[in-house]
Amino acid sequence: MFKLLLDKELKEIVGTTKFAVTFGVCAVLILLAFYVGARNYDVSRQEYEGAVVENMRQMEGLTDWGEIDHRIFLPPQPLAALVSGISNDIGRTIDIESRGELRAEDSRFNEDPIFAVFRFLDLEFIFTIVLSLFAILFGYDAINGEKERGTLALSFANPVPRDQYVLAKLVGSFLALVVPLMIPILIGCVMLPLLGVPMDGDSWIRLAMVIFAGVLYFGVFLTLSVFISAMTQHSSSSFLMLLVVWIFMVLIIPRASVLISGQAVDVPSVDQIDYEKSKYSRQLFSERMNGMQEFIQENRNNDDHAQFMADMQEFMGQQQDDFDAKMLVLTEQLNEQRNNKAARRQKFALALARISPTASFSLAAADLASTSLALRSSYMDAANSYQAAFAQFMQSKNADTQGFRFMRHGDDEVEEPEEIDLRELPAFTYEPPDVSDAIGASLPDLGLLLLFNIVFFAGAFVAFLKYDVR
Amino acid sequence: MFTILVEKELKAILQSPKFVATFGVCSLLILLSVFIGIQEYHASVDQYETATQLVDQSLAEATSFFAMDNTVYRKPSPMQIFVSGVSFDVGRLSKISSREDVKLEQSLYSESPLFAVFRFVDFTFIVQVVLSLFAILFTFDAINGERERGTLKLALSNAIPRGQYLFAKFVGSWLGLTIPLLIPILIGVLLLMVLNVPMTGDDWAKLVALIGVSILYFTFFIALSLLVSSLTKRSSVSFLVLLVVWIMLVLIVPRGATMAAGQLVSVPTVAENESQKDRFRTDQQQLIREWRQEAWKNRFSALEGASREERRAYYDANKDEWDQEDRDVREEMELSVTEFNRKLNEDLRNAKLEQERLAFILSRFSPSSAYQLTAMNLGGTNTSIKKRYEDQMFAYRESFSSYLKTKQEEERAERRRQARQSASGGRMIMFLGSGGEAVDTSDMPKFVDPVESLSAVLKPSMIDFGLLSVFTVLAFAGAFVAFIRYDVR
Amino acid sequence: MEESNRMEEGTSAARNEAPLLEADGLTKVYEDGTLGLNKVSFTVHPGEIYAMLGGNGAGKTTTINLFLNFIEPTEGEARVDGIVTHKEPLKAKERLAFVSENVMLYPNFTAIQNLDFFAKLGGKKDYSKDDYRDVLMRVGLEEVAHSRRLKGYSKGMRQKCGIAIAILKDAPAILLDEPTAGLDPKAGREFIKLLEDLRSEQKAILMSTHDIFRAKDVADTIGIMNLGELVMQRSAEELRGEDLEKLYVQYMAGYMEKTPESVPHEEEPAIS
Repeated sequence: MFKLLLDKELKEIVGTTKFAVTFGVCAVLILLAFYVGARNYDVSRQEYEGAVVENMRQMEGLTDWGEIDHRIFLPPQPLAALVSGISNDIGRTIDIESRGELRAEDSRFNEDPIFAVFRFLDLEFIFTIVLSLFAILFGYDAINGEKERGTLALSFANPVPRDQYVLAKLVGSFLALVVPLMIPILIGCVMLPLLGVPMDGDSWIRLAMVIFAGVLYFGVFLTLSVFISAMTQHSSSSFLMLLVVWIFMVLIIPRASVLISGQAVDVPSVDQIDYEKSKYSRQLFSERMNGMQEFIQENRNNDDHAQFMADMQEFMGQQQDDFDAKMLVLTEQLNEQRNNKAARRQKFALALARISPTASFSLAAADLASTSLALRSSYMDAANSYQAAFAQFMQSKNADTQGFRFMRHGDDEVEEPEEIDLRELPAFTYEPPDVSDAIGASLPDLGLLLLFNIVFFAGAFVAFLKYDVR
Repeated sequence: MFTILVEKELKAILQSPKFVATFGVCSLLILLSVFIGIQEYHASVDQYETATQLVDQSLAEATSFFAMDNTVYRKPSPMQIFVSGVSFDVGRLSKISSREDVKLEQSLYSESPLFAVFRFVDFTFIVQVVLSLFAILFTFDAINGERERGTLKLALSNAIPRGQYLFAKFVGSWLGLTIPLLIPILIGVLLLMVLNVPMTGDDWAKLVALIGVSILYFTFFIALSLLVSSLTKRSSVSFLVLLVVWIMLVLIVPRGATMAAGQLVSVPTVAENESQKDRFRTDQQQLIREWRQEAWKNRFSALEGASREERRAYYDANKDEWDQEDRDVREEMELSVTEFNRKLNEDLRNAKLEQERLAFILSRFSPSSAYQLTAMNLGGTNTSIKKRYEDQMFAYRESFSSYLKTKQEEERAERRRQARQSASGGRMIMFLGSGGEAVDTSDMPKFVDPVESLSAVLKPSMIDFGLLSVFTVLAFAGAFVAFIRYDVR
Repeated sequence: MEESNRMEEGTSAARNEAPLLEADGLTKVYEDGTLGLNKVSFTVHPGEIYAMLGGNGAGKTTTINLFLNFIEPTEGEARVDGIVTHKEPLKAKERLAFVSENVMLYPNFTAIQNLDFFAKLGGKKDYSKDDYRDVLMRVGLEEVAHSRRLKGYSKGMRQKCGIAIAILKDAPAILLDEPTAGLDPKAGREFIKLLEDLRSEQKAILMSTHDIFRAKDVADTIGIMNLGELVMQRSAEELRGEDLEKLYVQYMAGYMEKTPESVPHEEEPAIS
């Protein structure tokens, strides 16, 4: 009996022109998303590599480590092409100094606002918008459509248990829609390495998990459609309801929740913090200058040129360290305050957004692709630890890129300096969080998606048991 | 006859329960978007004001013209309530200094990526995505639905010209859907006044134009639905076709066009650009260094074998002149670096403009992007916002640097005087910017936000406006032809 | 004469056996308080055709829905072969075939696919394609239409498919809800012939109809329903020579006078 019902469900969906058309559109879009994603990755990688090489090239031929102008760049993640997340919004370039706070600049959308106008067409977008509509389009009349055609009454004139019927309906429509969708997705996956995206084992696991999340998300909308179909008498009203629900879930709730959180939790602006810092820094600067004047006054009668210079250097180094330490304390304090508030707002916003499965899916996909909000902090963390390594290195080279350097006019002999060897420079590598960490981060959202599935599934089941089949 | 038909159409729409539900949702969304937009606008104005105040304060507290940093901010415009466009993607501020280029940085999205995760929902978005769907929802079965119910045969069994019937259908649905939508829009406009949004006369004109374009865009979808409905026999088919067309027009074509343009026109990357700039500067600095080594060698060459005191005296006598020489050379170099950077930036900007032009041309195949582009244009939040601000900031930088230069000149002279007085002989170590007193910055030039004149805004909008009109007329004409031949059975 | 003999044989044969369909004091009060059916009792024996006559909202479809357990009775029982439908619906349904008014079936399936699905659903798994073709020919569907999708079918053709489905199930009892709606006169006559064949196969047939003349032609027993009550029940024999139409109008009018207020509404399946 179950098999028969399942079989009918599969045939009924797959045999239609509607299916052929919509599936064709979805397949083309999915393939397009993979292709465009791969090309995009290629472009970003070239950009990234070009930038790194240029940065090195530009420092070539320098003779003093103190003169180097070193930058690090955020390498593109292979999966960012499919799930762009915030990777286009955050700064990618960081000027590295041995001291001071780092700041990432040049986000892609800031550099090319043209891309920000319509944003990108990525796999995540296809899933959230197009496939959810696809699910609704095939689920909205699952129950009430049969009733309108009279087939529901006819079927139940036979000894058919209702639970089996609705189960077959849910499972059948899921299989009939998901299995065909796997074809373009798998073709897309095969395309990735062929188009030059370096996919290692971890990336494959991530991609598989993204697709799994997508399937769960698809399931949410399908079960929801069947659920609503089992609660309404006419397919036109269930469609209307679903469309309204869709607009809210996909387009409104996620956006509105962020805005509401912005209103609810006040986070001090960057400008305010910058001002605090610069004020403090100016204050310290004045103190330092005074200290220096005093030092000079004290040592003005020291005739030993070299000795004086050495003392001076030492004194100023000390002062610089002192300054750095103080600034660091303040910066950390201010940043921590801001970060705490920002984290609270973020938590609030995301919790609210997760009312919508679309938000859950987006967040899970971004976590898995390492393009979630955590990308920025993990990049900054990597940059900060690199800064420490860099500073140590620079110290070993006795060079300081900040603070005071002496331009000595004079008659000292200029000896021919040696060129620096850039290979000695520590290399910056950015490693995205481990696959296991990424999966761990996405688990709550995956769980939520699963929960939505179960709730709607159960809802559809119960609603159908009470459904008036006449 | 015509009025009877229009009246029937109005009643059919307004009385359907579907209408109440969807209209409620649309109104809610429009009002929500305007309300949140206003709140967000106020918040960003606050932020802007705090930020500029802080800059002013830090300028006022500055004790020297040497360590003087200036930052200018982009002022939020009330129009971004309706069209946020790229205003959150483009940097909010630029540092102004003679050493650094003008560059907008710290966009809202890069500073608070939380907002970037789902982006904002503004009035334009609601119109573009939700209202177009709303239009389809009410007109997808305009013709074939009547056929299915048998009312088409019944109606046309009377002496009604088909053209008139279709036109009445169009006018009726248009009135039935547009007039109700004007209510939340007008309430939204009222909110602007109640919540004290400072709108100038030009802003009002732009807003009216924006609402006009929104209605035109909405009208296009009604005409399109009529076309598809009179091309198909069954309403289920026409709905499916319209949904696919909607996905294509609203979601896919605009994005696809941008990506295609990105592939077709290559633009040097920022990194390449930056490094080219740096390379030029390094080269120039190297030249200067070499020149100076040479110069110092020459300057002292006359004193070969002279005593320390003689050298000192010689040095003191000539110092000012030499310094002046050094400075002149340095300034010359700075000038050439600035010129080079400007040229490079312009090249980059031109390439980007070219890419952008192509992207926009391609994307205008979809009325949806035509609408979005013209809305952003009217709201002043289109991609050229960056160019406008950077141009203005560049001009400001010029006046600011020249101001700074005169001031620094004065300060230097002053310091030197002081230094001469205090340090009689001994080593000359000059510390600039270490004073105690705040300097007077009251006559510093102020940054003025670029203002687009109304005509400059409206002119480019005309293209999109025309394009939307053409799309609408074409769709209606198509519907007309299809309906004349429609098989009413 | 011959006809009446045969009919008498049929009825007498029927009387000897236990009834297949039994309505026993069936009462249905809807959630909103309207009375759908009031203490309706009748029986249908194997080899008997029972026709329910009545206007819209009389309770005919409600009666059939109660036999199918699509709704549960407020009081009384509907029994199929002695099985109470609302207690053991699945077991009862094994013995029932059903033809509904204006069934649309699956528009994207061909006639044969539709038949195949519903036959299997009814527990008949061994039919071949030829069996389906035979049944479709029997209900009067031409062979060219057998493999076409139902999308392009007319109302009558779909109705024929529905009847074919009922025949295929080969159940002892058949419920027909307005089976002749949408059939042209020729198809109508063929349908009557089909019913007579089914009667001779000893099926118990319960049909609701508006068609007084056909009912009189074919039915062994006629019940007239009005406002949820069975107001008249007579065998064809008793009705012989009477003007059924006149009787019908009388009963309806009489009832209307008795209860002029609120007309109970029966929910006819809204099929458009």
